[in-house]
Amino acid sequence: MSDQPGRMLPTVVLVDDHRLFRTGVRAEIGDRVDIVAEAEDVESAVAAVLRARPQVVLLDVHLPGGGGREVLLQCATAVPDTRFLALSVSDSAQDVIAVIRAGARGYVTKSISGDDLTTAICQVAEGEAVFSPRLAGFVLDAFSGRSDAPVVDEELDRLSPREREVMRLIARGYTYREAAKELFLSVKTIETHVSAVLRKLQLSNRNELARWASDRRLT
Amino acid sequence: MVARLSRTQERELRQLLYAGSSTIDAAMNGGTFQAALTKAAEEVEDGLGADIELVCVGDTSLDERTTAIVQAAREAMVNAAKYASQRDPVSVFAESDAEHVSVFIRDRGNGFDLNAVPHDRIGVRESIVGRMRRSGGLATIRTSDEGTEVRLEMDRRSDE
Repeated sequence: MSDQPGRMLPTVVLVDDHRLFRTGVRAEIGDRVDIVAEAEDVESAVAAVLRARPQVVLLDVHLPGGGGREVLLQCATAVPDTRFLALSVSDSAQDVIAVIRAGARGYVTKSISGDDLTTAICQVAEGEAVFSPRLAGFVLDAFSGRSDAPVVDEELDRLSPREREVMRLIARGYTYREAAKELFLSVKTIETHVSAVLRKLQLSNRNELARWASDRRLT
Repeated sequence: MVARLSRTQERELRQLLYAGSSTIDAAMNGGTFQAALTKAAEEVEDGLGADIELVCVGDTSLDERTTAIVQAAREAMVNAAKYASQRDPVSVFAESDAEHVSVFIRDRGNGFDLNAVPHDRIGVRESIVGRMRRSGGLATIRTSDEGTEVRLEMDRRSDE
């Protein structure tokens, strides 16, 4: 993939409508990932992703022309090896869940440090799921046992006790490595749990997940 | 400075856009636990220029005992903001319902020796551990060179 075997930086397309933000990301992590293209709206993002076929797309949730979700819908199937990592300042659960359900492999907030963002990009490039504390909180809320909504699909509509424990630790700010240490598990096992939760988040048709997300916006 | 300004602006905008039912309820009947904790976190952010990542799951009523948890959590956030690394955010996770309340405050500082807490950190013992005990809850502190985590827990079914 690279002609410098010692330095296989993940290739990244950076999508955000604020040039200042893109410049900041480039300055912060440009020497640790290979930013091959930038885009500022849905149309230019789709074109850039199809052209560059990067390993990772760093995708702003809020984007002129339909948002990050629209970028995923328009090009994700054409670039099956590209992973998408969503990024936003917003607290709106609805928007974040929508991007995840459209196929993003994770979500981080814009307040993330350069080091953590680099780590997150590398994890996503390797096919792992990346959960910020906030996303873990959304998940715990959406899959809470408090609701009396019927469980339609036992496999998809519930979190296992272990998955719940892992989400709680991530919500508390633990890295996967720290969560692994706390639960006496391997990092690999933590990654497997997080991927399983991501799959449930993407595929569960639990009423609550949709209704709970839209409630936040409507009320 | 810019980060702090933008955070304040972002918060105002967010409140304007997403002012949820909990905010309105809070204004109407004296507040919920989550609203009070959010306010405490914002005060510490603005007052000390810290970056606090607050994640709340569930909510419950604000009474004398849950108010004590908010105060203890506030003290823990102040400590984390003052003494911990400015580079990394302070992580706060709260989970609450009618039966159980827990709050975890975690920083990425260098930790400290609990047996040799200097005088200016008397807050830890009194305002956090003592306050929780008096309210029928429990505070535990775990500290290492990877940071400090204060855990506040209260079982509300054991009301005296």
